[in-house]
Amino acid sequence: MSEPIVIENLTKYYNKFLALDNLSLRVAENENVGLLGPNGAGKSTTLKILCGLLRASSGAAYIDGVSVAEKPEQALSRIGVIVETPEFYPFLTPEETLGYLGRLRGMRGDELKRRIKEVIQLVRLEDWGTVKIEKFSRGMKQRLALAQTLLHDPPVLILDEPALGLDPRGVVEFREIIEGMGKEKTIFFASHQLVEVTQICNQVAIIDHGRLLAYDSIAALEKKYQSLERAYLELTEAPLD
Amino acid sequence: MTELEKLRIVAGYEFLKHIRRRRLYVILGLTVIAELAVLILVPVLGDGFPDNVMVMAALLSVGPSLATIGAIFFAGDAIAGEFENKTGYILFTNPVRRITLVIGKYLACYASVILLILLGYVIVCISLLAIYGSIPIETLSSFGLCLLYAGSVLSVTFFFSSISKGAMGATVITLVFIMVISGIIDGILMMTGQPHWFMLSTNGDTISTVYGGYELFMGGMGGGGMAPFEMETPSIGLSVLSMAIYLVVGFLLSIWITKRRQLA
Repeated sequence: MSEPIVIENLTKYYNKFLALDNLSLRVAENENVGLLGPNGAGKSTTLKILCGLLRASSGAAYIDGVSVAEKPEQALSRIGVIVETPEFYPFLTPEETLGYLGRLRGMRGDELKRRIKEVIQLVRLEDWGTVKIEKFSRGMKQRLALAQTLLHDPPVLILDEPALGLDPRGVVEFREIIEGMGKEKTIFFASHQLVEVTQICNQVAIIDHGRLLAYDSIAALEKKYQSLERAYLELTEAPLD
Repeated sequence: MTELEKLRIVAGYEFLKHIRRRRLYVILGLTVIAELAVLILVPVLGDGFPDNVMVMAALLSVGPSLATIGAIFFAGDAIAGEFENKTGYILFTNPVRRITLVIGKYLACYASVILLILLGYVIVCISLLAIYGSIPIETLSSFGLCLLYAGSVLSVTFFFSSISKGAMGATVITLVFIMVISGIIDGILMMTGQPHWFMLSTNGDTISTVYGGYELFMGGMGGGGMAPFEMETPSIGLSVLSMAIYLVVGFLLSIWITKRRQLA
């Protein structure tokens, strides 16, 4: 089985602060892997290196065997990304924004128009497609972020707290969309929400202080620690009741 | 898909952004106001319009010069804004080289400024035709120098935008650098009789001095010989060289820095 995401001995310093400490991880094709860890554990740093937004101090990250550091354009062409709560150009509409990003990814004409319509419907922004984004709430921007992630139908999704800012209905809808996608895509998904991870992912990687503490199926961790929550708390050394 | 096609897409959408922004129309309004101020105040405060068409042409070049400074407001957030507003999380995760993004943004900013400069020169030409019935051929040189000056100001702004954390900081630093620091050093060099052709503020002056130098202003406005020191008119050739250097160096530095910059 191929491994669309490979992280090898990633180390990242922010000045003297060690954010990632020799982290290695492999995500197999069509696996949905949750990346769990407390604040400052290194989750976002890991995903940002995978997306080419940050450079690793040492080690390497690969998307479909392509080094992100050496051939970022080639690596990025295979992924769809949400990092934190992204912002959009306020003077453009969702249709224009998706048109821009789609065209940058080589989509054209009717195919692009059809796909824009599809993803806008998918994230329930049909009534807002031609409204300038400056009028959007945080949750609506998050929906648009999901739409741009899925626009080019990438085989790999890298998502960092993708449900942040969504209202409860939005969270449920988002989860359903990702669950649907997860059957045919590889998903690497950072979150604080254990419930969300449990519903979307079949495996989890738990990291803290930039180190990998556990990487196993949810079932295996639940068997070993009684529950995923307990596994998380014990491994990340949070105090237990 | 070639990088050239991507460049065309980036430049197109960036230009659309500028067209949608209020600041384009604010600078447009200021350019028109500047031209109107010259057209109204010169005859009211003086004895009618100057006899020499070159003097009036030089005075009217204040509008296009102002439009050129507007470049700072377009370009200040071009790079810094992607990092400050986190729009880079969307843009930089696409399979497009950062050099393509920077060049596309630069071209879009340049196109927006050229629009404003063109409008300024249309007003200059119509005004001169209406008042004097002729347009000096030097207006063409002034237009060319204005375009070059706009390019050099854009490059300097892109440089500051690439090193700044925020768009406002980049805009203010560039304004201070061009209007204050460069102006002060320029003034000191001029007063002490030192060469000052390499100062960006001096280079900007060529847009109007191409019509006949500082002497033309002084003589044409009835203030001949009033300067407390000798004002040497900047050489057009050296100013062109200087602006070309600012344009190339500033632009290349902004590309190099943006390529290396990380979005944490």
